Amino acid sequence: MHIYFQIVKQEVFTLFISTTTYISSFYFLSLLGISYRFFLEFFSSTNWILPPLTSLLIGLLFGSPGLVPFLTMRTFSEERKLGTLQVLMSAPVSPTELVLGKWTACLMLLYVIFGLSFCFPLITYLIYPSTGISLGFNEPSQWIGIFSFLVFHGCTFTAIGIFASSLTKNQMISGMLTFSLISIYLTAIIFTFGESFPISENQGIFDYLESTILSLFSGLSQMHNFSLGLLDVKTIFHQITLTVLFLFLAIIQVDRIKHKA
Amino acid sequence: MTKEKPLPIVEVLNLRKRYGLIQALKGISFSIGKGEIVGFLGPNGAGKSTTLRILSGMIAADSGEAKVCGVDLAEEDGEVRNHIGFLAENNPLPDELRVIEYLNFRANLKGLKGSRKKDRIRLVLDACDLDRRVSERKISTLSKGFRQRVGIADALIAEPRLVILDEPTIGLDPMQTAITRKMMERMRGEVAFIISSHILSEVEICCDRMIILSHGQIVAEGSLNELQDQFVDDVIFEVVSNASRIEMQKTILKIDPTSQIIQEDPIENSGKRKYIFSSKNKNNEDSILQDLLFIKEMQISEFRVAKPDLETIFLKATKRNWEIQDLLGRKKQKPTDLN
Repeated sequence: MHIYFQIVKQEVFTLFISTTTYISSFYFLSLLGISYRFFLEFFSSTNWILPPLTSLLIGLLFGSPGLVPFLTMRTFSEERKLGTLQVLMSAPVSPTELVLGKWTACLMLLYVIFGLSFCFPLITYLIYPSTGISLGFNEPSQWIGIFSFLVFHGCTFTAIGIFASSLTKNQMISGMLTFSLISIYLTAIIFTFGESFPISENQGIFDYLESTILSLFSGLSQMHNFSLGLLDVKTIFHQITLTVLFLFLAIIQVDRIKHKA
Repeated sequence: MTKEKPLPIVEVLNLRKRYGLIQALKGISFSIGKGEIVGFLGPNGAGKSTTLRILSGMIAADSGEAKVCGVDLAEEDGEVRNHIGFLAENNPLPDELRVIEYLNFRANLKGLKGSRKKDRIRLVLDACDLDRRVSERKISTLSKGFRQRVGIADALIAEPRLVILDEPTIGLDPMQTAITRKMMERMRGEVAFIISSHILSEVEICCDRMIILSHGQIVAEGSLNELQDQFVDDVIFEVVSNASRIEMQKTILKIDPTSQIIQEDPIENSGKRKYIFSSKNKNNEDSILQDLLFIKEMQISEFRVAKPDLETIFLKATKRNWEIQDLLGRKKQKPTDLN
């Protein structure tokens, strides 16, 4: 555990002194802020049926393919390119500690950006309380539900990014791979929006597994529940499964690199 | 009463490692005692870096044993690796960090805490001649020499019992090389060093013992004197005398029938001549000198035994191996075997 915390500390420090982090965060938050401002202006004339706070969630969710690669692409790719991964491995550091440490650091930064983006509705509510109340910004359940949704999706997206970064020495390829994998995942959940994948009680284990895997993509359908403050355990479980899967693959890859060195 | 030999710091027994088709190590065995400075030599692809990586705990061997401080590296849980300092070839360092931040991180990884950590960082900064001004600089702004010193400081940070330096002086100017050598001299006897280098003169100066690898096998091992005895068939002498070539030839043949003059150079403005000759008889330098001095007409003013340097030994040791193996380390077939 000691090594894990040291790696988290170091990675957070490295991310916070990196210019890329600030530039990507600035552009991401600026674009999100501008979109949010226009959403508020035209909200009344749209057919939006979800709580207005969900607009922020959708912005963050679909903006993630653009943001996450900037946070994760350098983690392993750069270390491999520079050869510092080799030096790191000469200390008593296991691939699991290394992958988990780097993933935690990226996740923490992603949460900071998510947290900062939530300042937009908070500021609206504090400066214009009546507008804020009319938009439902005074409902803590909505805030908790939406943030929970983002927390678990953030875990998956950063795990995908870490895995992509462990595959190549080239940061650009790693970034593009992360972008592609997250976009494919988001596309899958868009096209399965509204479809249900019921689990029949009398079916066998394979039907259960098939249903579970297919329903991995029903995340967007569950967004409605989350935005109302209802935490859906199945969605949380699915996100955790994907996160563990990609982290496990990254650990295997780092272990392979170690033995190939 | 016999003096008990101390336990070796490094024990390698029948170590093997294969990368695909290439057998990088073919069952090498050696040991290194406490405080010894050992030079690890060999041509490119000989298996030096693979051995050093196994000893630093970075990769595992396919078979055999690699023990550091009596603990098998394949079975240890990290405690021993805290006491192994490693400077990788090309010395990769994170450019975005300051020297002090990097050393702090490495100290944390190696389990150093509190005042002990601070003391160790201060100590290695001093030992590597990295003053406060340098320690506050970003690694990306450092020259090659300073980067190398940061790498060495990292290798020394956790009170290592074994320090592995892969090409430590490459790219360093003579001044910085001398500083590195002095640093090792200060720790001689306390810390065991394994130095892999292509700069043979450097190894010759600072190492107690050399291990020469070729094609994943140890082809020579021992101190410089031992290697000279092992690999050199002829003894080379240099004599400065007033005698003519014919006189010298006659005298030398009388003293040692196996000897012959191989070179003769006049020395300017002195009328003397320098003769270089070889002899098949080893360890008879003293008797030759005595006999030459006894003959007054020879007027010997200088006598020197020219021992072969490490480069000559290295070339001889590795040449033998190259002659019998191909690039993949397999035994070469004789032309007659091909039919």
